[in-house]
Amino acid sequence: MSVSPIGRETARVDGPLKVTGRAPYAADYHPDGLVHGHLVLATVGRGTLRAMDVTRAEAAPGVIAVYTPFQPVRLINTFQGFGAENYVPLQDTTVRFRGQIIGLVVAGTFEQARDAAALITADYAGTPPRTSLADAGPGRSQDIVQVLAPGVASIDDVLRAGPVTITTTVTQPAQHHVAMEPHATTATWEDDQLTVYSGAQMPQRSAPAIAAGLGIDPAKVRLICRYTGGGFGGRSPAWNEAKLCAAAARALGRPLKVVLSREQVFTTVGHRPAVRQTVRLAAQADGRLLALAHDSDAEYPAAGGWPLIPAQHTSGVLYRTPNLRLDQRLVTLDTPSTWAMRAPGEAPGSFALETALDELAARTGVDPVELRLRNYATQHPVEGRPFSSKHLDQCYRLGATRFGWDRRPARPRSRTDGDWLIGMGMSTAAYPTDREAATVRVRFHDNGRVSVASGTSDLGTGAWTVLAVAGADTLGLPVEVIVPELGDSALPPGGVGAVGSAVTANTMPAVRAAGRAAIGTLLRAAVENPRSPFHGLDPADVSYRQGRLHSGRRSMGFDELLRAIGTPALDAIGATDPAQDSPYAFHSFGAHFCEVRVHRLTAEIRVNRFTSVFDVGTVINARTARSQFIGGIIWGIGHALLEADPIEPDGRYAAATMADYLVPVNADIPDIDVHWLGYPDPHISESGARGLGELGTVASAAAVGNAVYNATGIRVHDLPITLDKLL
Amino acid sequence: MREFRFERPGTVADAVRRPAPGTAFLAGGTTLVDLMKLEVMTPARVLDINRLPLRGIDQTRDGLRIGALERMRDVAAHDLVRRRYPMLAQALEASASGQLRNMASIGGNLLQRTRCGYFRDVSVPCNKRAPGSGCPAIEGENRMHAVLGASDACVATHPSDLAVALVALDATVRLRSRAGTRDVALRDFHLLPGTTPEREHDLRPGELVTDVIVPDLGWASRSVYVKIRDRQSYEFALASAAVAVRRDGDTIAEARVAVGGMGTRPWRLPAVEAALAGRPAAEASYTAAAEHATDGVRPLRHNAFKPALMRRTLVRALLELERIR
Repeated sequence: MSVSPIGRETARVDGPLKVTGRAPYAADYHPDGLVHGHLVLATVGRGTLRAMDVTRAEAAPGVIAVYTPFQPVRLINTFQGFGAENYVPLQDTTVRFRGQIIGLVVAGTFEQARDAAALITADYAGTPPRTSLADAGPGRSQDIVQVLAPGVASIDDVLRAGPVTITTTVTQPAQHHVAMEPHATTATWEDDQLTVYSGAQMPQRSAPAIAAGLGIDPAKVRLICRYTGGGFGGRSPAWNEAKLCAAAARALGRPLKVVLSREQVFTTVGHRPAVRQTVRLAAQADGRLLALAHDSDAEYPAAGGWPLIPAQHTSGVLYRTPNLRLDQRLVTLDTPSTWAMRAPGEAPGSFALETALDELAARTGVDPVELRLRNYATQHPVEGRPFSSKHLDQCYRLGATRFGWDRRPARPRSRTDGDWLIGMGMSTAAYPTDREAATVRVRFHDNGRVSVASGTSDLGTGAWTVLAVAGADTLGLPVEVIVPELGDSALPPGGVGAVGSAVTANTMPAVRAAGRAAIGTLLRAAVENPRSPFHGLDPADVSYRQGRLHSGRRSMGFDELLRAIGTPALDAIGATDPAQDSPYAFHSFGAHFCEVRVHRLTAEIRVNRFTSVFDVGTVINARTARSQFIGGIIWGIGHALLEADPIEPDGRYAAATMADYLVPVNADIPDIDVHWLGYPDPHISESGARGLGELGTVASAAAVGNAVYNATGIRVHDLPITLDKLL
Repeated sequence: MREFRFERPGTVADAVRRPAPGTAFLAGGTTLVDLMKLEVMTPARVLDINRLPLRGIDQTRDGLRIGALERMRDVAAHDLVRRRYPMLAQALEASASGQLRNMASIGGNLLQRTRCGYFRDVSVPCNKRAPGSGCPAIEGENRMHAVLGASDACVATHPSDLAVALVALDATVRLRSRAGTRDVALRDFHLLPGTTPEREHDLRPGELVTDVIVPDLGWASRSVYVKIRDRQSYEFALASAAVAVRRDGDTIAEARVAVGGMGTRPWRLPAVEAALAGRPAAEASYTAAAEHATDGVRPLRHNAFKPALMRRTLVRALLELERIR
């Protein structure tokens, strides 16, 4: 009897390949005749290119071609109102932001291309760019969400009346994904068929996007991204560099690879927009909310980008309140494209909301956990639908116990350990999940293996292993027998995009559907094929269990059957429907608890402890789930304490290197205690699993900030919270 | 990266024989290779000195001699260094990352270039990289920049931790050129930027650092290096302090004090040393003495916190010293 691997600790099936360097990433492909490209980027923030001098580059050793707006390779702009960039490079002389692609040098080696690119000079007619969010006024509103109690004309009246009122404005600068694998594309043409190797979160969307940019039939483009070194939103669209690489490869008639330098990644692909948010609360003296208003002004590049909505899935979800208003505005700036980054709206939005809640707790004297329980929502505050499965109250209580929340001093700056001030803070995480359509193919092979194929992608977070676990569970087979396949646009259509924490929760049910369908195919072949020992039996008399077919006392493995009937493989496709018009709102939840220490003299902030308890439905693989949660919390610690890329008046990012753009290192991270409740969600799907990937990132920064306040009595509203703000 | 000629001299005499302009010595390469890739440094000729016999950590008549090619990791781990000059070992261990410390040499550490982002980005002006082109840091992002020793031409901070501890210990560097050998006090070796920020040290064309000499100072066995930074590892100092104290009972008899992250070069603080001498070893004395640390500071827009941080870092270092038995 094989035991289901669901919820157990399953090691990554791709782990051995990765730690031995045998997992090929986009830049690891070396087709015959390969040449190398290096980008040239604009060094002014806005303006027009008057001329570019490429003569020295063209004469440099090994150079094969130089493309610029004055000698372009053709690309088609297919922007239709939503998407990353609203232009394609080299098709005009407009400079939209500093760091825009203005050239591509192709040479025999990477070094030759890079060194020749440095010889190109550009002459610009510049105009001052708009780069400062702080200097800009309120932006233009996207949808305004408003719920008002009967008789209330304006939420402002309630927010003014109190009895307790809180107004909190928080800001954060641009942040970057800084995925470990820099963006890279290898493009190779065979006649009119293009193969692109490029990290992608949605291979089946990136491939047609590249085709459209080239003006060719989408069926002619195959995108392969078996291994991808981090996505986090930064690889959800196909960026201009990938399109340019494919176009230049076509023009040259040879395979081309373009690998961005680490510095180039900062402006060539999207970043999390800078944003200013204000949360206003009105509450009764016991902390019960009367009104909640959340406004935001987010950077939105003139060159196109991600429209940030930080309040929608935070203030719009978390608490019961009779009056609610969300106004999420966009401010047009001349900056590189913005794009979704790990919990795109929820990470910044939750910092604003959960900081304001902490201020309300401090003002009313109500314990922060108790305050949240008093405002507990059992239905979606805007949509009115009940949550499908919400046990957040248990997350609070269990988390508080595991962490030792009762030792938190209510009065700030009242606990010390030697020269260190000690403080504790908490916060609430929520992340929307849903059930999307998904398609999977399950194929039995005559060598005893079963492949489980999905057109999704694995960014390093565990989808390879989830396919193996789901296949093993569905078919009653050991995980080792399952051969997962993903990261290829040529796989059956309907792969879930590796976005929105969606892969596991949505692919699981499709694997089950495909597994059942494949078993059906196998059983049909067993009774219909004349060479099968089951031939002629009533299909109802043949059954499948744990890789074997049974009928009466007759039994044989699926591989034996396939060999007997001379069929190398049999497969079936399984598809699931999206959860449309569900009576339930689907969200995952969690509670964070954090202890920090702040040095009384030098004000360094160090995280001592972190405990988080999550409510995410069924967990499929405990090991990768825990890694996701811990990674998310580390991301939150970086969000709170380190991550910042200031933009200068000329549009230059001041910290566009990994030396200057700080993310946490091991020494910054304590042991992180992660726990989940394990209630299957009865409404999301038969697997009971909701998304969890991004949840750890949501509100973990606020828990850190609230702990810093508890330690020091100082509330820092401008992220990151660095020591100079506490001196 | 520009093309260059690569040579590998077999002797020190060979290495210094032809002091052609545009020559760079390659030791660990952790600064040079980085900056060559960025085209911040474009030497025409690179002399790999790693085969030269500039090794060894040993006691000499002049003090502890450290060969210029000794790696940071090996110096930090050396028993003599750890016992006699704990602040040196601590400064080294607080620097860079394990991988870099395995590669980077002691001589190269003292000659490392500033981490100023404008210096390292060839798309913007920089007086240090391109004399006369201007200094964007003065009006730009200057949170990490210097408040001591800056000029209208340059406000870049010297990044070495090791140099701060060595300056506190009155170390000298031994230099070798075609003309012979000379010793220069480390305090005088690094230059203030003035109007010539491209000149960073008193090193003549073709001259090579061969040794670092740390004079004997018995009471430096009670010394600390405290480094304050945004993240706990792999990051340059916002402020650092190298401190040694000789106590006479409960009174401070003598002190050595230098700070990093503050100046355009490693910064010794004689006024603080004088203010500590004769005072009781207590926090109030430290706080009073630290007031002298910030004489003459010139804060910029984003680093106005640094003088206060420097004073507090000194107090913290002196308190930590007290706790050492």
